[in-house]
Amino acid sequence: MHITRRRAAGLGLMAGLVAPLASPAILRAQSKPAKLTIMSHAVHRAVATGAKAGDSTAEWRQRQGIELEWITFSVEGVHERVYREASLGEGAADIAFILERFGGPHIAGLFEDLGAYQKRDPIEAFDEIGAGMRAAHTYRGKLIGIPYRHATHGFFFNKLFLREAGFTQPPTTLEEIIAYAEKLTFTRSDGARVNGYALSMDDPSAMVDLIRAYGGEFITPDYKILCDEPGSVKAATLVRDWYRKGVLARNTMTFKTEEVITAMQQGRAAMTNQPFGRFVNYNDPKLSKFPGEIEVVNFPMSGSTAAAPAKTSVWAMAIPSNARNKELSWSLIKELSSRRNTIRAAANGNGPVRPSAYDDPEVRKLAPYSEAEKRALADARLVLPGFEHVAKAMDIYMEELQKAMLGQAEPLQAMKNVKARIEPLLPKT
Amino acid sequence: MVAPAQVLLLAFILGPALYVVWISLQSWTYGRPPRFVGIANYAAILGDVAFWRAFWNTFVVTNAVVYGELLLGLGLALLMAGPVPGKRIVISILLAPYAITEVSAVVMWRFMLEPDVGMVNYALLSLGLGQIDWSADPVDALFVVSLLSIWHHVPFTFLILYAAVTTIPNELVEAATIDGASSWQNFWYVKLRLILPALLIAMMFRYIVAMRVFGEVWLLTEGGPARLTEVLAVYLYRQAFKYHEFGAASATGVAMLVISLLIALPYLHQMHRRMFGHAAV
Repeated sequence: MHITRRRAAGLGLMAGLVAPLASPAILRAQSKPAKLTIMSHAVHRAVATGAKAGDSTAEWRQRQGIELEWITFSVEGVHERVYREASLGEGAADIAFILERFGGPHIAGLFEDLGAYQKRDPIEAFDEIGAGMRAAHTYRGKLIGIPYRHATHGFFFNKLFLREAGFTQPPTTLEEIIAYAEKLTFTRSDGARVNGYALSMDDPSAMVDLIRAYGGEFITPDYKILCDEPGSVKAATLVRDWYRKGVLARNTMTFKTEEVITAMQQGRAAMTNQPFGRFVNYNDPKLSKFPGEIEVVNFPMSGSTAAAPAKTSVWAMAIPSNARNKELSWSLIKELSSRRNTIRAAANGNGPVRPSAYDDPEVRKLAPYSEAEKRALADARLVLPGFEHVAKAMDIYMEELQKAMLGQAEPLQAMKNVKARIEPLLPKT
Repeated sequence: MVAPAQVLLLAFILGPALYVVWISLQSWTYGRPPRFVGIANYAAILGDVAFWRAFWNTFVVTNAVVYGELLLGLGLALLMAGPVPGKRIVISILLAPYAITEVSAVVMWRFMLEPDVGMVNYALLSLGLGQIDWSADPVDALFVVSLLSIWHHVPFTFLILYAAVTTIPNELVEAATIDGASSWQNFWYVKLRLILPALLIAMMFRYIVAMRVFGEVWLLTEGGPARLTEVLAVYLYRQAFKYHEFGAASATGVAMLVISLLIALPYLHQMHRRMFGHAAV
């Protein structure tokens, strides 16, 4: 065939137009991406790349020649964005951090079955990662997230305020906490007003500690709602009474975790229940007016010095089904889940998913609350099991609780309303 | 051949609006394909106590904001139309709130209204006037939301009315004065009649925009306590971005669209008659 210049140019143009359309997968497979995108809460970036104990991602990035782009959001915001990305034809997230209570069988289809990846290319000492934590991200046998962080609650108190109020030791039972909270609602000599207790009100996380301290429960793992039983009603009554007496700040109902942290750091609250890792925030000399004065112990039961079952949450790393670089995502997940990097992140303030991390001397030095947190983790329970309408259920609980606090309903009636409104939303088991 | 304006209208306004109407007829959330449910979403929101509470709160706030702004904007416009020393600087100061982003404005006012320690509440307490209990009292909260919205948006109303007031012919005002009209009569029978079209435009625009009030409520109370200060936009946001119920959220959006159209309808009808009424002759 005689090839003219015109024919050669035409063939070349066609080849240039058709080739990328014909083999995008081949082209993509042959080239590594310049970066992987991780969607998470800011705390994950902080503990994974923290300066104190080192950057868990540094060696991986150097080995792979790939940079990481962390896109961080609020707790609710990260799920909204991640689910939206995962629902598209092709998403922007290579790794997504998800919290167990925002998960559920309804979103399992949006993520890869990491059990298959684990079989093919296992994470080091995978069985060390708490079985309960793995189960929290397993739906109908499909493991959609590798646990990375737990946020387990402890009981924080300001030692200076206790001394100023004449207390020589911290409270050891829930009844003592209640008595202390009233006495610790006072005006200091410098005119600063202190509230005895601070509670975050963005979801029931803080309330479940009080409910369980009274021997109650909110929603069981098999989706039974028990909020109208004595333990739960007592907790709601306590919070109502605290609000009426001024033990809780007047604007408590607008309090999120950030407001509680600020209140403790600025000395506007004397006690609270929050994740153990907040110890670092509360005692940070750059941010807190009371560095070294905020202590944390296990939250006690009512009528006993035994520790109440603490609230815990488990964040896990998931790979969206529409992610572009799944093998690389798994490689990074493996890296972050290694024993060494679990210890590194724990020393940076993370709640480690491997109990062995608590035995590391550096973790014990940088996180002095390790022993108490390890004890709490042994009996800790999730806030509530994940299901499709969990966000609405949590809002309903907070709405009715706040009505009780405002005096618009008695606590028992409020909790009965909670049960009546949430029961139809629960999965049928 | 379809004109470019019609193409833009179809692509960016009508198309998305029709899509939202379609979603409002589906049950749709993450992890599941959309499923046609007819008017079930509309039935659900119309049967929801929280929707009607949000509707009522929106009605109250919108009216407070619109009439508050009109009165304040008109007063300022009449004042600025007279002899005012340093008029340009004063007008710049009056317009300044409009240049501040909504988020910055709300966060700033929230700090000033912080219970016990915020500048405004501290001053009120010192004067023995109590506090604005916006975090616990829904009435106080909606009052603050309305005040914030008026403060932020009055420059818009002021500009429209100031432009109208400055175009009033002086001869008419002088003639009325010569005929014995008092200041009030001058205002009521001469000036107000002449600026009425501008007043109605400002009112219509503000009604439509004020109905969508979101930032002030969300950043101040998030609709709390106990969802008692929720407005329709916050209700919609909660359905879409917290509960991921896109069908219900879209149904709420359609409801808000219908309400906005009902508000705008009388004015649009008037405008249509004025523009095309003579064509029938």
